Amino acid sequence: MTPIIEMQKVTKAYHGAPAIKDIDFDLRPGEIHALLGENGAGKSTLTKIMAGVVEPTDGRMLHRGQPVKFATPSQALQAGIAMVFQETSLVPSMTVAQNLYLGSESFLNRLRGIYISAQQFLQSLNFPVDPTATVGTLGTAKRQMVEIARAVKHNAEVIIFDEPTSSLTPEEKRHFFALMRRLKQRGVSIVFISHALEEALAHSDRITILRDGERVVTNDTATFDRDSVIRAMVGRSLSTEIYKARRTTNQLRQRGEKVLSVQDISMGNLVRNTSFSIYDGQITGVFGLIGSGRTETFKIVSGIYKRDFLRGGDVELRGRPVRYRVPAPAVKDGIVYVTEDRKTEGFFETMSIAENLHSGLLAAGLDKAAFVSRREMRALSAEWSGKLNIRAITDNAKVIELSGGNQQKVVIGKGLVQKPRIVIFDEPTRGVDVGAIAEIHHFINALADDGLAVVVVSSYLPEIMNLSDRILVCRQGRIVEELSPEDATEEKIMYAAVH
Amino acid sequence: MRLDSLLDYFRGQAVTIPPMDGALRPNTALDDGAAELLAAAAPDNLAAAGGQVLYSTGNDLLRLPAHGGGGPVAVARFDAPVSALACSPDGAIAVGLDDGRILLKGGALDGQVLAPVAFGGLACPTALAFADAGTLLVCQGSSTHRPSDWVVDLMGKNASGSVWRVDLAAGRASKLAGDLAFPYGVLANAPGGGIVVAESWRHRLVRIGAAGGATEPVLTKLPGYPARLAPTADGGAWLCLFAPRNRLIEFVLEEDAYRADMMREVERAHWIAPALASGAQFLEPLQCGGVKTMGIHKPWSPSRSYGLVVRLDRNLRPVASFHSRANGRRHGITSVAEGDGRVLVTSKGGNAILSLAVLA
Repeated sequence: MTPIIEMQKVTKAYHGAPAIKDIDFDLRPGEIHALLGENGAGKSTLTKIMAGVVEPTDGRMLHRGQPVKFATPSQALQAGIAMVFQETSLVPSMTVAQNLYLGSESFLNRLRGIYISAQQFLQSLNFPVDPTATVGTLGTAKRQMVEIARAVKHNAEVIIFDEPTSSLTPEEKRHFFALMRRLKQRGVSIVFISHALEEALAHSDRITILRDGERVVTNDTATFDRDSVIRAMVGRSLSTEIYKARRTTNQLRQRGEKVLSVQDISMGNLVRNTSFSIYDGQITGVFGLIGSGRTETFKIVSGIYKRDFLRGGDVELRGRPVRYRVPAPAVKDGIVYVTEDRKTEGFFETMSIAENLHSGLLAAGLDKAAFVSRREMRALSAEWSGKLNIRAITDNAKVIELSGGNQQKVVIGKGLVQKPRIVIFDEPTRGVDVGAIAEIHHFINALADDGLAVVVVSSYLPEIMNLSDRILVCRQGRIVEELSPEDATEEKIMYAAVH
Repeated sequence: MRLDSLLDYFRGQAVTIPPMDGALRPNTALDDGAAELLAAAAPDNLAAAGGQVLYSTGNDLLRLPAHGGGGPVAVARFDAPVSALACSPDGAIAVGLDDGRILLKGGALDGQVLAPVAFGGLACPTALAFADAGTLLVCQGSSTHRPSDWVVDLMGKNASGSVWRVDLAAGRASKLAGDLAFPYGVLANAPGGGIVVAESWRHRLVRIGAAGGATEPVLTKLPGYPARLAPTADGGAWLCLFAPRNRLIEFVLEEDAYRADMMREVERAHWIAPALASGAQFLEPLQCGGVKTMGIHKPWSPSRSYGLVVRLDRNLRPVASFHSRANGRRHGITSVAEGDGRVLVTSKGGNAILSLAVLA
């Protein structure tokens, strides 16, 4: 069977440093091919070459046996290859329907017709998205749905999904995988990048694993299990390192002083009379499904959102009532929020690591000098790159050029230079590879061991159960349950989160 | 922040309920970890002294069986429900009745009656404690309601309670503190000096000097309504919270007109108010559909009743707690006593006397 896409000895180098090197890859018609590897392994680069986003430095690509070279994504799209990006490429100021038809508009368009057609199309995919809604008003999950719908809409014979499920709820994920199976039945070939190894093992036909820009193995999915995948990805078994056995009472940290007391805070329908406390020297895990209000709750605490003006509840920091209207006073009071949406809120993408870290100092008012010292900035960068093991191709690399794991470390570093007393991590390992997960977990544990109050908000249960000294469960804008990791099970947590 | 204190004047300060976490983290210790010593109808008023533990149920005063087993022993029967009880070191028993009288049994002053008139009119004895053999401390929950009418006192937002010191030999009563919002528990010779009183409607414990004077809050912002206090062997204290606070009740307490209508037109058992037990009747107020899902009563659902006993250290800070959650059955914990090598609690709403597994 002729592969629909074949890559032969493909190499792509940035600034002389190869992101991928001599990679051979083939995609068969009608197969779901999972592409796995740590962040920085070269998965995105390889797929971007397929989709015409970047051109290879060396090697060649065959499409149905014919050598091709795509200079632009639209050329790849014309050849039937579409890519759904991790960071959506939709136009926020346009409606969902307009985004779906972008690039394939007629000379004269009737808006009503576009909406009706988009509505029918979205319904056929089981995506509950309003075609008349402006994309900028949609949440991450719905934007992802529009992005997927757009790829399907172009009748692509190859669709590349880059982390398609990272922001979907379990229900939406089921819809997505059902859609993927339907596409496969129609003969569409799918390349599927995911950090959720279980998804790759459950839904793909073949798996290719990359490490440090080189292909380690390609084989049928049936020949892999979770451990063998991780071993191939990182060169050692990390499974037990990341998700250890359940901890006993003695292994849990004892709570220190109550540092933050939140009582009945409310914000519209998103956060409703939620109450909890945070203690020094402990990791408080907060679990909740998307839409449960967990992120909004902690954004209120850190001054990013404002609680209701009337009867909005109380927040006390070490017994002192606080009501932040902007994040700056919260940062000055030692509260740092590490965002879940690093690409939009976490860093300045065209600035270097050093500049980003230094911006954290400026935000906290810790650098009051009239002029910025480049030398100090570099020293700061060297210090935190060492502490957090941030790896970049060059010292002056822009943050956008880093892998997801390293970007996340920059965001964490930017918060930690502010010398916080309470650190709130929102989805700290979303879109981060297993190697970086282990490092980030290790770092979060070290912060709590140093006596800081740490909050980890996550929708990934093993992460919550492994990191937390106490687990809070959020549902419909409220903390409904507190569990101790020693007696918490995934079923108990999920029951509280759903019911 | 200064602006907020100004704005609060116009927008009204938020009434918030502190979360049950830290030492108050919910568990099921009262349902799963406490042994039921005996079943009794609305037991209350545990008091321990001289190796015996007394309790009341309705008009009856009984003695609990010792470790070996057997049944409870009747001690006395009164013509009104017993509302408060205390044992003195010399074997005397002080019994507060729902009609306001306080009777003394045994000891040097056997048969003495302290009439309501000694306490400035209609009395409401909610808690008693002997400071020494000749001195009795009396909590008067309210100047207008009887102890059994506590829910009326709460919904009327009264704060007419007082604490009295009675010199039994002289038959003289002196007021130590007034304007309290339903004092419902008293700890004589409290850790840190003076006496400590549970001020129920203000959800706090306050300290009062042995000779009276201003009240000083020692534990505030409790998530429920505090009831009786009892000393522990290690110098701390036990505290019962007989019902939980919840948003709906707090809301009703702020809505004066609604509350007045409710009290006038709705049967008392069905008021939106705290209760010692709930869930028995479909007419009871519920908070939307958040209580049961697919027939399962959710433990974190808003509830009118709850079971909670808190252990306080020598600084009167909570260090441990024992819960019966919304889906539990041992609610309405009104009294606690450490005696006979056991920690006993009365679940007035759950009709049981329990032994906590803490001293074993």
